[in-house]
Amino acid sequence: MKKNMSKALALSAAVLMMFGLFGCGPVSQSTAQSNQTTSSQSAATETQKAAETQVATGPDISERVDLQFMMIGDGAKDMDRIVGMVNEKIAPKINATIKWNYTTFTDAMQKYNLALSSGQNLDLIYTAPFLNYFSLSKSGAFHALDDLLPEYAPDLYEFVPEGYWKAVKVNGKIYTVPCTYKQYLVGGFIYRKDLQEKFNLPVPDSIENIEAYFLGVKQNMPEQLLTNEFPMAGIYQFNFSAIGVLDMYHDWANTAIYGLAARYSEPDKLFDYWASDEFVEEMKLMKRWADLGFWSRSALSSVEDMSAMQNGKTIGRLFGGTVNTVSEYNAATAEAHPDWKFDIALYSDNSGIVYPTHPIQDGIGIPIASKHPDRAVMFAQELLLDQEINQWTSYGIKGEHYDVDADGWYVPLQDPTVSGFSREGMLCWAWRNPDYMLFPKEDAYRIEMYEKFEKVAGVNYIGGFQEDYSAYQTERAALGTVVTQYLQPLHAGLVDDVEQAVATFLEQAKLAGLETIQQQYSQQWLDYIKSLQ
Amino acid sequence: MIKKEKEAVIFQRLAVITLGLAATVSILPFLIIITGSLSNNELVSRYGYSIWPREFTLQAYRVILKMPDSLLRAYRVTIVNTLAGSTAGLIFMSMAGFVLSRKDFKHRNIISFLIYFTTIFGGGLVPWYIMITNTLNLKDSLLAICLPMIMSPFMIFLMRTFIANNVPDSLVDSCRIDGAGEFTIYLRLVLPLIPSGLATIGLFLGLMYWNDWYLSSMFITTPAKFELQFYLYNMLSGFEAFKQMNSASVSESVSIPSETVKLAMAVIVTGPIVLLYPFVQKFFISGITIGAVKG
Repeated sequence: MKKNMSKALALSAAVLMMFGLFGCGPVSQSTAQSNQTTSSQSAATETQKAAETQVATGPDISERVDLQFMMIGDGAKDMDRIVGMVNEKIAPKINATIKWNYTTFTDAMQKYNLALSSGQNLDLIYTAPFLNYFSLSKSGAFHALDDLLPEYAPDLYEFVPEGYWKAVKVNGKIYTVPCTYKQYLVGGFIYRKDLQEKFNLPVPDSIENIEAYFLGVKQNMPEQLLTNEFPMAGIYQFNFSAIGVLDMYHDWANTAIYGLAARYSEPDKLFDYWASDEFVEEMKLMKRWADLGFWSRSALSSVEDMSAMQNGKTIGRLFGGTVNTVSEYNAATAEAHPDWKFDIALYSDNSGIVYPTHPIQDGIGIPIASKHPDRAVMFAQELLLDQEINQWTSYGIKGEHYDVDADGWYVPLQDPTVSGFSREGMLCWAWRNPDYMLFPKEDAYRIEMYEKFEKVAGVNYIGGFQEDYSAYQTERAALGTVVTQYLQPLHAGLVDDVEQAVATFLEQAKLAGLETIQQQYSQQWLDYIKSLQ
Repeated sequence: MIKKEKEAVIFQRLAVITLGLAATVSILPFLIIITGSLSNNELVSRYGYSIWPREFTLQAYRVILKMPDSLLRAYRVTIVNTLAGSTAGLIFMSMAGFVLSRKDFKHRNIISFLIYFTTIFGGGLVPWYIMITNTLNLKDSLLAICLPMIMSPFMIFLMRTFIANNVPDSLVDSCRIDGAGEFTIYLRLVLPLIPSGLATIGLFLGLMYWNDWYLSSMFITTPAKFELQFYLYNMLSGFEAFKQMNSASVSESVSIPSETVKLAMAVIVTGPIVLLYPFVQKFFISGITIGAVKG
């Protein structure tokens, strides 16, 4: 009897679990879809209603609404006061209040996804490619803004250039209001200017000179660690940080994922970089540098240490450095080591390739759960175009948190670590308006560089490309293993015979299904390039 | 006086040496945490940790204590949450344990199974999140960091075993003959008989609440309501995330002694609970073994 009972229980538990495994997916999907249709229906009827009333009075704002704005990261201490001021100002215009919710940086991605998938009551949300803007848009996480914008935020629609709207489209629809401030994250070799001058070494602006710089420092300071290069996992083009230096040679429009690169001048022609002589030569360079001891023999087990250089642990950084990094390092060490001076030798000086961040980089989207997408769009317009609101939410209160000096530079009035509102304290990346932006004096160097970049900059192809690897997921996973096992040591120069190692890698990659991947990827890339023209 | 045998002396010496070594091994890491938190970050980053600080500095503590009011507030949230959560948890779980331990409770097997079932099958993260934010509407409420941990199946069963072993049925029956109701029996008879059970579960609960950061991370958006662990953790992940993200202006980026700050945080959060431990420990040991031996 008892046995039967426990059998029955086990059986029912198993059945329940089956339901759990197979039932959840489609059910939640269909509810999400029905939610979506009902809310888009309701949006449509609302728009209709609004259109009817608009004939006489403009958009219908008779109902008072509370908008919720979700952001990644941490807010500022005095934020409540500033949001109060914003609310006071927007109330007569759009009859709404706004509240910002910050996720904090801890597990930000997970919370962001949870907020969107749980249908939490949100009206505005920060969007970015690293937060899966593409796939979320495709799965219907945001309201399409194509009809809302011209109707409820005509000025904003006008303000953002046509090209930006075009660039952020997913499946032909706009899902985010892109930020129009251009940034140039152009890579380069970060080095210690003071050491280079002290030991009378060449400026490390080419492969030979970087080598001379490292060797010179090593000779004069034998105890000094040169770099802290580290392996990068799960990436199909970059597997070891030091190969960042090869950007110097590469006049590419993409990043040679799966070995497929396209020259910047002809982005619609992909070639197999991994199979080229160029690749073998470059891997030989990596081996030479590894043999010279530019990075540790155990580099494949090191971890990224972003402050290694500013702590004096290392004196060169081959990957991930930009002009921003230089300002950052110099500012951070100004007090403790006034004699240290960091500088950058830009790889773009050699490759000639400069492009700004893609418009998709930062934006404001409207989650599908929002009941008032019209009001949300109206608020986005105020936030970007009203100078007072824009500057309050970017810099705080003038005279209390910051001031502007005679030359127009931003001057903080409080110690940044304890400030009630430090510069961009509400992480206003998504609503930066270039016309209203204020910069501190230390930014002069960066601004000057950006102006220089702007003159030579071209189109950012790669930033708008969204790879869909669902069709070759299995091959991709297999290739991932091969890449870690065979390509990573090659990139780090930790192989005995480069040519042999390249051959082995290619052989294994082929077994993993590289050809299928390349074929499918090429198709997607070419379609994308065609869609741009 | 009994003369010690030679073997006993050797055994004792060996025991002292072994335990001494074990103690050193356990204490060393903690010592490194303390001395590391007092070291210069730059030197730690360059040469690694050492047992004595290379260059004594309070740099790390200064960074953490820069906003003492926020830190104290986080302490307060954690202490209040720990006390409230542990007390409520003890009350609910001892009641549940009492009911389940009673042989005259007809459906106790089914109820036990239902409680046990939650340990092997759960809805997962998303339904749980939806339940708390959308159904219970607890987003950004202090209840959201208190309620989810208030009862745990494991502890309910532990409590049941405690009560079953320490409160004989005959005693309950005699109480009933004297005219006591169920609640009086629970309050006046059962609770006084299981002090070690209460201490054990109380310590488990207390540690769980004290160490929790995840619930704050998930459900709290107002910084003033952060628990201590999350406040500190977030401080660090905030610095690091900020460095990685594309901040156009970096002039205000603060140089943070990240390595030593981590250690200073560990010291700050372990301090109070380490002080508490010796007082509860004697119950703790007898508590766990009692269940085991008599079970």
